[in-house]
Formats: sequence, structure tokens, C-alpha cells
Amino acid sequence: MSTIISLDEFITDEWYPGFKPAFEHAPYYVEPFRTFNKADEERFWFLDFHWPRGLTPLGLIWNEDGYNWGTQYAAENLPLPPGRGLTNRIGGIHLYGSPIDVQSPYEIGERAQRMGAYLPNFLQNFDSIWAERRDEVERGWQHFVALDTASMSLPELSMMLKEARAFHKRAFEIHFEIMYPLLVNYLGFYGMCAEMGLDVSQIGKFLQGYDTKIMETDRELWKLTRAAKQAGLADVFARTEPQDLVATLDGMGGSAAAWMTQFRDFLQVYGYRTEGSCDVALPSWIEDPTPALGTIKSFIAKEEEHDFEKALAGAIEERETAIDAARSQLTAEEQTAFDAGVASCQAANFPWWQDDHNYYIDLKVSLPLRWAARAIAERTGADQADDGLFLFWPELTAVADGEKSLDSYKSLIEARHQYFDHWHSRRASMPKVLGTVPEAVTDPVLIEIFGLNQHFLNAIQAAGTDGDVKTLTGVPASKGKARGKARVFNNADNLHTLETGEILVCESTSPNWTPAFAKIAACVCDGGGMLSHAAIVGREYGVPTVTAVGLATVVIEDGDEVEVDGDTGTVTVYKSS
Amino acid sequence: MSGQAPEHILWIDSADPQEALALTGAKMGRLAEMSRDGLSIPLAFAITIDGFREHVGSAGLDEVIDAHLAEVDPDHSESVEKAATAIRSAFRDTPMAPELAEEIEAAYDELSDRCSDLNVPVAVRSSATGEDSADASFAGIFDTYLGISGAQATIEAVRDCWASLFTTRAVDYRLKRGISHHDMPMAVGVVELVHARASGVAFSVHPVTGKADRIVIEANWGWGEAVVQGLVTPDHVEVGKADRRILKHTVSSKDVVSAFDFAAGVVVEVPMPGRLRERACLNEEQIAAIADAVLLIEERYGYPVDVEWVVSRHRREGEPIAIVQSRPVTTAVQEAAPAAYDPMALAQKYIFAGGR
Repeated sequence: MSTIISLDEFITDEWYPGFKPAFEHAPYYVEPFRTFNKADEERFWFLDFHWPRGLTPLGLIWNEDGYNWGTQYAAENLPLPPGRGLTNRIGGIHLYGSPIDVQSPYEIGERAQRMGAYLPNFLQNFDSIWAERRDEVERGWQHFVALDTASMSLPELSMMLKEARAFHKRAFEIHFEIMYPLLVNYLGFYGMCAEMGLDVSQIGKFLQGYDTKIMETDRELWKLTRAAKQAGLADVFARTEPQDLVATLDGMGGSAAAWMTQFRDFLQVYGYRTEGSCDVALPSWIEDPTPALGTIKSFIAKEEEHDFEKALAGAIEERETAIDAARSQLTAEEQTAFDAGVASCQAANFPWWQDDHNYYIDLKVSLPLRWAARAIAERTGADQADDGLFLFWPELTAVADGEKSLDSYKSLIEARHQYFDHWHSRRASMPKVLGTVPEAVTDPVLIEIFGLNQHFLNAIQAAGTDGDVKTLTGVPASKGKARGKARVFNNADNLHTLETGEILVCESTSPNWTPAFAKIAACVCDGGGMLSHAAIVGREYGVPTVTAVGLATVVIEDGDEVEVDGDTGTVTVYKSS
Repeated sequence: MSGQAPEHILWIDSADPQEALALTGAKMGRLAEMSRDGLSIPLAFAITIDGFREHVGSAGLDEVIDAHLAEVDPDHSESVEKAATAIRSAFRDTPMAPELAEEIEAAYDELSDRCSDLNVPVAVRSSATGEDSADASFAGIFDTYLGISGAQATIEAVRDCWASLFTTRAVDYRLKRGISHHDMPMAVGVVELVHARASGVAFSVHPVTGKADRIVIEANWGWGEAVVQGLVTPDHVEVGKADRRILKHTVSSKDVVSAFDFAAGVVVEVPMPGRLRERACLNEEQIAAIADAVLLIEERYGYPVDVEWVVSRHRREGEPIAIVQSRPVTTAVQEAAPAAYDPMALAQKYIFAGGR
């Protein structure tokens, strides 16, 4: 029997105080984004780890244009044979996702034919296709970076807001248009490896050791760390809180000023990124460099510098060893197909892209929307610019177009701030899944992207049976063993406070969590699998990592002593109290 | 052969394979084929189906058999079992005609001489005839006695093999398929028992997946009975056919060994000595020799085979492996492994169909 987790608590006509969604106000492809209703209990919903803070009213544009439109557009047009993309609902302010399955075997077969005709050209020309799409996003990006919102009129800002939404939406069409074929290629290779009797837990290794834009950013942060030490700033960093570092360093002059120039140059290249995926509520590092400075501060405190060259060489060596070991088990005929599969998956590399694309899309493309919304709010007399983020799209455009005053929303905005804070603080206790929990998940997107594998489901279904769990298990995602003090993070807001040698425990990680891997002794995630962000980065950094533990963030508390075995997927918890 | 008295004894190494197949059944007939093809086959003779017919005919067994079978109700297993038991005890109580016994004794002595032994230990094997696939269909139903020594013991074992034509399973099987035992007279092979260092089975196609690009070998120390009967988890080896590369060599913890009990004069299953349990029983050279033999047999037959092989204690490096049995494999051969990489077809087949 399948488990049913009630979603009664989340059934509502409103998204936030004072806004009844008119579902038709944004076009949708297969299914609109809407609030929960009772019928949704028959479907399976998972709390999406990408948005651990929850989303503000304007942030829900993502749910419409990215999550629903982007996935459904790509899944229908390519098409993706078994699914029509994702749909999502909101529990308070938190995103619950669910796949839209294609039911008819005939239709799945037809869709597979179409994808099969499309795929060879895509895979052969992946480099140029991805470069073309990156260029498209970059062209749009240059358009918005060149705008000076301070000197723009309200009608111009209104235009910018609408352009920014179009840009954001298009970026996510591209995102899923690229992601799905890469995923199909990866899954085909996975199926072949399984059929050949290879250990599928090794497949991630075959595809590791390729540099990404995210890793490039981390190397630059280490360069800045070195420069700060050479400039004699180690003590300043040590005694200053991250949020005070800009003011302190700017006020020092001399070598500190020179270093800050270097830091600002870095930000111009790498600083247009947020501390989380696709969320207008998040500032970029340019707006608030605290996360970058906090990371540098903790890098300085680390005795040994992370050796990127060595880690990368290690990852490459591990890759080649794993490939050789797999090949040696295959017949000459199988080797031919395997070699072709490895070559194809390395050239059109799904795990690599899963990290790399974040630099171009997920961490960036919400920023123009944010800039426009804040500028409009400021221009129309808001108490604080972020008030613009607490209006829904029809409300904000009405304000931008002069049809409504921002003032008329003042009390609503206040109520919505409270609503946000209330639900934000509830994140850690939000149900991980809602509705009808299946015995097994077969949807490859859910397994590979969201880590909803058997480990996770088993852990969820075994939940609540005892409060005395000492040993947790999950997917052994990155090898090695480590023991240390647990630090449980529900989001990345205070990630820079991680100390060297601590063990990171979280729902899941995103690219903005990557710098933490240079400090932590091990990583434990509720969700994920062999290919989730933490697994990939754990292997690149040589950090023992166990994913899909299910309830790690519930069972483990700050300060618990934790032993992580990345070879067996075991996490042993020694309670501190 | 027309015009001459029927032959009761056929020497496998000098027999015409076609004649051997007709007179001594599939099991011994294939040994004759392999012998002709230059494979290393232990010395052997067979008591032909004419020998069997003469025994059941002259000793009045035919009438006994028919009488018991006439009373059987095929739908009642108890009735089948009762008839089968009665027929087998009739076989045991019926002495062999002296002329036939003398022929077997003479052949046994000759085998001993040719093996430079006094009372050479032999394997006495049932070799069914009749339908094409008789050997495969009845695999494991008829008796085999390993390690029989001496002419009298051999004659007893021959009679037991004949009687095993009437085990309950065999009778039941024939009744259900409407086969008369007259259509499948039982030949018996008397085969020099190779002094086994290690033995086992080998398949020219994966017996489970049907993949035809590899040879699968299962091996244990001593004789092959423990492997054939599934009493031990054997070492598992896979060899690629195209380049003879060892793809997999899993050494198991082997708890049971088929060993020769000198006091009883038979091969029996005993606990594996600790020092051998975890040790690989084949080296690369031996694996290559087994692969050579299996591929040669498959090539000659033109279809996938499974074989029983023995590494003799006296075998030296470079010498062929002894083959004691071969037969067509019953596994359905799978289409060739995909030589090209087609991700959509693979994803559709293995993932999107919910296969994971």
C-alpha cells in the first residue's frame, strides 16, 4: 500500500495575504502553476531542495515561467518520451514539485521516435549548440547589465521589467531544452552499463574531472585568498565579521585598498551570481559581497590551501581507472559500444553540464527581474526596495504602469513579509513529500535531478518509527571516511560560518554551496544521488559524501559527532546530548 | 552392419561418430565426434542399445515392464511411482546374460590395460537415445556412477544405469509426453575416470543472459559432480570469445568437493579442505585451454554448447583439457550485443520503460 501524506494544511485559495491567483493570467503549456487542492493528494509531491528559503510573491514567477513553462515547453517539444515536464504547487512559500507523466505507451513510443531522430545531431554538435545558447543568454544579459536603472523613467523601468521576465522565461526554455537530451544520453548509457553487468555506481566517475565555470570561480576565490595573505590582511579577516569586511577593508587604505580593487575586478567577472538558484529575492555578490568575503575569510583560516590541480588530477585519475576497470570486464564487442557511449557522454556530459550551466543560467538570470522590481519600488516610494519583491506580477506591473500606487499595497506588503518569515522559519519541519508516496520512483528525472531514489523513499517511509536512530544510510556518492562535528544548514544564508573540518548536513546543495567543500570534512544530504551537485563536487574535492539519506537534517543536530563513510553510504550519529 | 550379429560393445575412440550416435546414444556419440575432431577425450567404450535390448529381451524384462506399465494411472503419481519402483527392482533381480557380462568384463580389462592400470576407476554413464533432445530433456534424470572400479562393480553399475530408465521421473516424463520406453533404449558408457585436479562446466553462451559473445566457466576442485548438481558455489569465469580475454574471474568460497573415496571406490561429496576453499581452482593457462576446447566444439557443431571438462592431475601446461561431456545448450541465444551506441534506443529499452 502506498503511503498518503495529507496536504490539507496547504490547501488555500490564496498564495500570500491579499492575492487570489487567477490561473489564466500567465500562459501555460501542459498544466498551470496553482495552489494545492484536495485532488492533488492523489499525486506525489516532493519538497524541492533548490529553494530552501521559500519564495516571495514576485519570486513565484519562477514557478510559472521556469518550473512549469520551461520544463513543459522542453519536454513537449523535444519531446521527452516518458514525461511532459514538471508542475508545482506552493506549501506556504515552499515549492512542491511533481512530474507529469505520459501515460500511453503508444505516445511514449512516438515521442521516443521523435527524440531518437533529434538526438544524434544534438549530441554530435553539443558544444556548438550549448555555445549558441550561452551566447543567446549572454546577449540578453549584456542588454540588462548595460541599463542604468537609476537614470531610467518609470515607463522605461516597466519595459525593462517585462523584458526581464521574457529573458528569464527564455533562459529556462533553453535550460531544459539542453538538459533533457543530455539526460536521455546519460540514461541510455546508464541502461547500457547496467545491461553489460557493470557497477552502475561507477558511472558518475566515468564522467568526472572536467572543469566547470563554477570550479573556475572557486579557483579565483583561492587566488584572492592568497593575495589577501600576501597583503598582510589575514589578521583583519580573522577578527572581522564577513558583513563588516567591505567597510573595514575600504577604510584601511594601502594594501587593503589594492586588494579591494582586485576583489572588485573579480566581482565584475564572477560576481553576478546569487547565493541560490533562480530567486529574485537573492542579491548578487556585487550587491552584497558578504558570501564571497566570508568564503575568503574561512579559506584564510584554513591551514592548508585546497590544491585544485591535485584534486582535479585525482579526479581524472580516478575516472581513467574506473573506465579501465569497467572495460576490462567487457567483451571486445561490448567495448566498442561502451567506448562510443563514454565518448558521447563525456562530450555531451550531463553531470558536467549540471554544474556548469548554473553560472550562465540559474545563478544569474533572475537578477534583471530583481533590479527592475527594486528600481520600480524605489521610484514609487517604497520604504525599502525589496517591497517590490512582495508584489505579485499583476500588482507590480500595475504599479509600474502607473495604474496603482505602491502605497495602496503597503499593509499587504507588511502582512506578506510576516507571512514569508512565518513560513521561512518552518522550512526545517516542512514535510519532505506530500500526497501519495509511491512504493518506488521510476521517473528518471526525479531520480537523477531530485535524488528521489529508493534510499530516500525508504528513509521517508521509515520516518517516525524511532527517535533513537544512530545509523543512517544513503547513496555512497564520494568515497572516503571522515568524522567530525555536524553543522546542519537549512539554507546557504550562513554557509560561510562553516568551520574547517566540520561535517555539512543539509537537504541538498547547489552550486553556491561549492566553496564549502574546500573546508568540510564530509557532506551528508537528505536528497540526491550519484549525480546530484554534492556528489559531483564531493568527488571533485575528494570530500566523503553520502546522499539520499532522507532525514539527515531531522535526525542530526548541530554539534552531534558524525561519522561519514562514503564507501558504504553509512552515516553514524553520536548524539552530543 | 547388416548381416552381422549386433555389436554389444563399441569403442569410442575408433567408432564412426554416426554409428556411435545411433548405437550408444547422444552422450557417448558426441564423445566419439569429439574424439574424431581431435579433442582430448578419456578412453571409453559403450554398451550399445543392442546390448540393452538383448538384456531386457532375453531375460524376460520386457514382459515385466509392460505388465507394470499397463497398470499405471498416469494421473496418479503414487501409481507411477509404484510401477517405476517395481520395474527397477526387477532390473536389479535380473542377472545379466553371461555372454554379455563376459563381453563387458573383457572390454573393461582392455580399458584397464590401455590406461596402464589394474582395475581402472571409471565413470559409468547412462546415455539415452531416441529423440534428438533426449539428452537435454532428460538431463540429470538418468544415473551416472563415478569412480567404479573392477569388472563386477562395472557390470552392476551398467545394470543400475539401465534401471534408471525407469526412475519415477523418467516414467512420468514419458507418460506425459506419450513416449514409449521402447523408443529410447538406454546405452551405457564406461569412461576412464580422469584424475581430476579441478573440474566443472563451460558454456559457449551465457547460460542466463544468452549473450553469445562470451564463454562462461564454472569450476570447483576435484570432480565436477558438486558443480553439476549445484551443491557448491563454484568459481565463475567469463572469457570474451573475440580476443579470449578474461572478463571476470570470481573466486567463490567453495564448501563442498567431489573427491574419490578409495575405500568405497566411488566419488563422494565431502567438505572442502580449508586451504582450498578460497583458492582459485583455475589459472589463466587452464582457462585459455578450456576456452579453446569450448570454441572448437561450438565451431564443429555450429551451435552453442555446454561441456563438462576436467583438468587432469597429470596435465602439463600447454596440453589440452579433457572433455567428458558436451551437449547443445538449452538457453535461448540473445541477439548480438549492440556494437553501436544508440542512446535513445537504450534509454527507451532500459529506463523509460520503467526498467530501473
